[in-house]
Amino acid sequence: MKLSRDGWGGLAALAASLFLYAATLGLKDNPLVPIGPGYYPRIVLGISAILALAVLIADLLKARKPRAAPSEKQKLNYAMVAAMFAAFGLYCGALPFVGFRIATFVYLAATNAMLDPPASTKGYLRVLAVALVTTVVVYLAFERYLDVLLPRGRWTDY
Amino acid sequence: MPGHLELLGAGIAGMFHLKYMVPLVIGSLIGVVGGALPGITITMTVIVVLPFTFGLEPLQGLAAMIGVYVGGETGGLITSCLLGIPGKPSAVATTFDGFPMSKKGEPGRALWLGIWASILGGLLGAIVLVAATGPLAELALAFGPWEYFSLFILALSMVAGLVESSLAKGLLSGAIGCIVTILGNDPVMGQPRLTLGIAWLEGGVPFLPVLIGVFAFAQIMTDVERMGLAKTSDTIDAGVKLAVSHLDVLWDILSRPFLLLWSTFIGLVIGVLPAIGGSAANMLAYDQAKKFSSRPEKFGTGIPEGIIASESSNNANVAGSLVTIMAFGIPGDAVTAVMLGALTIHGIQSGPLFISQNAALAYGMFAAYILAHPLVLIMLALGVRWVLRIVIVPKSILYPVVLVLCVVGAYALGNSMPTVYVLLASGLGGYAMVKLGFPLAPFILGVILGDQIEINLVRSIMTDSDPWLFATRPISGVLLAASVVSIVAAIWQHRRMQRKAAAAADEPDADF
Repeated sequence: MKLSRDGWGGLAALAASLFLYAATLGLKDNPLVPIGPGYYPRIVLGISAILALAVLIADLLKARKPRAAPSEKQKLNYAMVAAMFAAFGLYCGALPFVGFRIATFVYLAATNAMLDPPASTKGYLRVLAVALVTTVVVYLAFERYLDVLLPRGRWTDY
Repeated sequence: MPGHLELLGAGIAGMFHLKYMVPLVIGSLIGVVGGALPGITITMTVIVVLPFTFGLEPLQGLAAMIGVYVGGETGGLITSCLLGIPGKPSAVATTFDGFPMSKKGEPGRALWLGIWASILGGLLGAIVLVAATGPLAELALAFGPWEYFSLFILALSMVAGLVESSLAKGLLSGAIGCIVTILGNDPVMGQPRLTLGIAWLEGGVPFLPVLIGVFAFAQIMTDVERMGLAKTSDTIDAGVKLAVSHLDVLWDILSRPFLLLWSTFIGLVIGVLPAIGGSAANMLAYDQAKKFSSRPEKFGTGIPEGIIASESSNNANVAGSLVTIMAFGIPGDAVTAVMLGALTIHGIQSGPLFISQNAALAYGMFAAYILAHPLVLIMLALGVRWVLRIVIVPKSILYPVVLVLCVVGAYALGNSMPTVYVLLASGLGGYAMVKLGFPLAPFILGVILGDQIEINLVRSIMTDSDPWLFATRPISGVLLAASVVSIVAAIWQHRRMQRKAAAAADEPDADF
């Protein structure tokens, strides 16, 4: 029996709710208060597990429509989404090591080029210029005028 | 104690000080541009502005955000009318008549009908905002923990019930939001729970990075999916004639007083309802205008009524959202949810005590809302052509910059990386929710209200362990009954829609 996106969503929510519910069973009650730290979480997780099960069952009982042929379906660029998430993850991971200025410049240039690949030297220069100007403006605005200290790089001290 | 009008007067006079006026002007300008940019929502614009407000006084920051909100609601109509592409979801209905009117050779009339209707709707909304917030907050002062608990449950059930896809998914989405709030130490005794072995989770998950991540990534990544697959023709003829007789346009609107008032009322009511927002307000107002019209068949062909209904309702919606957040501490939509976060950062508790404890701030917010309207009007009168040039900024540049500002905003919350990791995780989670068809509004409301629901539940039980008090205390009982009614109504509505869809599917195909 195949699940649709509703079914998968329900299944994931059910698994997460049950896992966390099990984790609440080890919580010890506080003698000073009538209800312990696990009281409310158990209510929320119990409700979410029931709702997730309802979504899952509704999906299993739902009559399936025949799948549209690939040509009829709208093709979406999931590879680009994955690349954007990967780039953002790398950026977040790199921030404490190389610092805000270097990481942001590289991230902006890379993602800009990914989303709109430059076709000429002029295009590459535009990408680099946008990345540089944005990095400098954001850095100056926050560090100098708004007193927000942006991450320094552990490796670069910059 | 100064009276209501004196406080409002002082608020307006105070807003003319440069230190408040500059953020308001800049916020309004950014709002107009952000609202006009197709694919950039007002929520995203306010998220971008948020980190810039951290170093400001609370009223400066809130004035900037209110400027963004009002400017965004008005700016969104520019591309709706001239391109046929709504700048934001709350301007979708403006497209139905605004664009046809432009195509008929009246782009200036379409544009200015929208602008003036926005301004008038927004200012009418201001009357309700100023008059109703105080009394509603006083009413809420009579609430005990039982009533607050029931009020928050009502808010969640209403939002879950109003989502279009499935009631169960709406409710589940709200429950998932509440799950986010149970991670970390319990809010009453501070006992560790569900930290999953992660030390920084002991303080709980901060809601602002969650909100920023969910909304920014859900919007940007769903747009990225389509990038490079089809060329759009988002070009505006910068030489388009926008000159118009403002008196004629104003007469177009004021000669339809019922339409203006009714659409404003709809916008206000939708705004007051938690986490629904202008996207529902403009569609409902348009639908109502069509139903009440003596010429419904003309809707969609470029008539003023469609533009007036949509635009007056979405600006009035802003006022309604502000009422809810200022009187009850419940965000009326995503933008006010970000504002709630900004208040929290400054250590200000929104809710019934907000006005009495922060009168200068509250009346300053009223003043900012009122003054943002003429400011936006002046900006558009002077620079609408300039805005037309800006809306062609490529998204390949815009989106990475927005994501960098999201990182800065998340990082600045605690000057630490964990909040940035929360942003990343929330972004992934938000995108997954969108792809799995889970509505985001109940989730966000769950994240915002989850803690408060727990605190009030525990307080009420610690005061009196009788659980029936939730049902037998009059206000609490009414609120809980309203929650049940809203869920039953949602079930009925979903079933009705399913029956209609089934009936439509059974009808023979006309083309066959």
